[in-house]
Amino acid sequence: MNEFWSACLSRFEQELPSQQFNAWIKTLRLEEDRPSHLRLVAPNRYVLDWVRKRYLSQIEAISQDFFPEPVTISLAVEERSAERDEPEVPETAVSAAPTPIPERPAIRSIDPSYEKTRLNPDFTFEMLVTGRSNDMARAAAQQVALNPGTSYNPLFVYGGTGLGKTHLIHAIGNAVYQSNPAARVCYIHATDYVSDFVRTLQQKSFDTFKRFYHSLDLLLIDDIQFFNGKDRTQEEFFYAFNALVSAKKQIVITCDTYPKDIQGIEDRLISRFGSGLTVQIEPPELEMRVAILKKKAESEKACLGDDVAFLIAKNLRSNVRELEGALKKVFAFAHFQGRELNMDVAKEALKDVIGAHNRQITLELIQKTVSDYYKIKVAEMYSQKRTRAIARPRQVAMWLSRELTPHSLPEIGDAFGGRDHTTVMHACRTIADLRTKDGQLNNDLHVLLQTIKG
Amino acid sequence: MTQLILDLKPEQIPSLDNFVAGANAELVGRLRAIAVPGGFDMIYVWGPPGSGRSHLLAAVAQESAPRRPTALLAGAAVGTDLTLPPGGLVIIDDVETLSADAQQALFRTFNSARLVGLSLLLSGPVPPLHLELREDLRTRIGQALIYEVKALDDDEKSAALRRHAMLRGMRVEDGLVQYLLRHGRRDLPSLMAVLDGLDRASLQQKRPATLPLLREVMQLQLETDNDEAGSV
Repeated sequence: MNEFWSACLSRFEQELPSQQFNAWIKTLRLEEDRPSHLRLVAPNRYVLDWVRKRYLSQIEAISQDFFPEPVTISLAVEERSAERDEPEVPETAVSAAPTPIPERPAIRSIDPSYEKTRLNPDFTFEMLVTGRSNDMARAAAQQVALNPGTSYNPLFVYGGTGLGKTHLIHAIGNAVYQSNPAARVCYIHATDYVSDFVRTLQQKSFDTFKRFYHSLDLLLIDDIQFFNGKDRTQEEFFYAFNALVSAKKQIVITCDTYPKDIQGIEDRLISRFGSGLTVQIEPPELEMRVAILKKKAESEKACLGDDVAFLIAKNLRSNVRELEGALKKVFAFAHFQGRELNMDVAKEALKDVIGAHNRQITLELIQKTVSDYYKIKVAEMYSQKRTRAIARPRQVAMWLSRELTPHSLPEIGDAFGGRDHTTVMHACRTIADLRTKDGQLNNDLHVLLQTIKG
Repeated sequence: MTQLILDLKPEQIPSLDNFVAGANAELVGRLRAIAVPGGFDMIYVWGPPGSGRSHLLAAVAQESAPRRPTALLAGAAVGTDLTLPPGGLVIIDDVETLSADAQQALFRTFNSARLVGLSLLLSGPVPPLHLELREDLRTRIGQALIYEVKALDDDEKSAALRRHAMLRGMRVEDGLVQYLLRHGRRDLPSLMAVLDGLDRASLQQKRPATLPLLREVMQLQLETDNDEAGSV
């Protein structure tokens, strides 16, 4: 039995990002209930539900490969946890009002040489939550931090706003600085680079500017799309770029789009941007958003229940910044009210963030929008037909329902002609899997998401 | 001949103390804290017109100005440059009216705020999720601590109106305030404007500020509003 569980663990460890693995799988314990009956013990009901929905079928599949005889696997919640909670109640009541968000000291005592790097010490690889949407980018960034100048040069990171590009490149800078404090590292936002450059021209101190940028070991330049139309800056940056790359000094660039699509930038620069490694950061999926919230709470030494984390993650979908804003709000509200942070408190607090006028996304709305988009009848959403031309849009609608509404799988199944929740689960998996391979489908999903969110 | 009045209005400097907080106690507490250097770094306040946003922002500027470099700007007045000494507090009302250049300036302020220790207090009519601004700016605003200015309930409005009347030296009956709340518009600024109109009429016509006079004032106000609307 132990061997079976280690096999499961290693399989999931390979397949899942580490945060998810640690949050959902590693906390489980396997017990033998009676012969050929295994029981998975979860620390709380939330983990149990999640595992049941997402991972149980996979565990069962592994068990079929592993055991000659079929075994049944049941799920249970750790009994001791309930007992343990009780004596802790007075303590949690005190610590429950989450610690106020630490106010930043006006001046941080930092090493002046570090301060020159303009790095944010909070943005490290340790603090970066990884998931399917950013694991490529993270791996590349770590590689660059280990071997600056020699692995991928430049490293070009692109993605929408608020997805963690800035965090990632600060993390590279911090890692390089940590392993070699003598390294000349500089983080600069593209707009600051432009204004610095303009200033040096006005003050005729161009040599100092040039010397500074040409002597760096690591240049981290954020939001390069702001070079749009700044011809003189681009020219100067072109020389700096060439000087650094030929001296095997590392350059890391972020942008809101991939190199070929940047507007108003010289072709010679664009071709150089694409000459190293280009990696994308995508919007985080639900599990990753939950993991981000939990990590953030942990770093502020506040306790955040799974239910509240899910509530926030379900309501703020498109970027990490607003997710953090919402978390801040929930903590501040609970603290002010002197109440324990539970679902009611969180819902109350989130009203300020979301507003009452938020368009209600209903299952009907999703079904209607998807049917219109694929030019099929809405009735096909509930019909029993299973031809590809109908089944695929239906699966897309199920996936969207899962992503965009707080409805449970059985509820979604019901709304789609009384289908079983496993059908919905299968649909979600299929779409999640297909979108990584099928560009057209991925595009359809983007358009639909935009349309539905309004 | 109508009585000319010496239109001396009591000087009402917006302050956090003369804001009837109601359900906004947490917000008022936060705003007091941001007026102090080293306080909380980013706050976004939203609410419909007349909810008291501008009053609150002006009040914070009053409190903060002696303690830290403070700039209070209307969104439409923000230009291409938005610089303030380190440790300062930038207050911008109506961010939805920021021009393209101003949005860029605010975006840059957001990016440098951590390094130079700036605090930001912004306001708008809707939560950040629904603001129509550049996405990179909108999400940065969404990272702030967000508060809706909650409307006062009728008891709180009545308290606020009574206090307003008292500051003008008016004596108003309870029934009058109740009538005003039932028949007037729902937002406090227009209710207060009606009280001001009542005060003026009472002085001009040398009549006490009573219910019949209030009705006349409100009727007159309604007619002028209609005339204005008709002439457009």
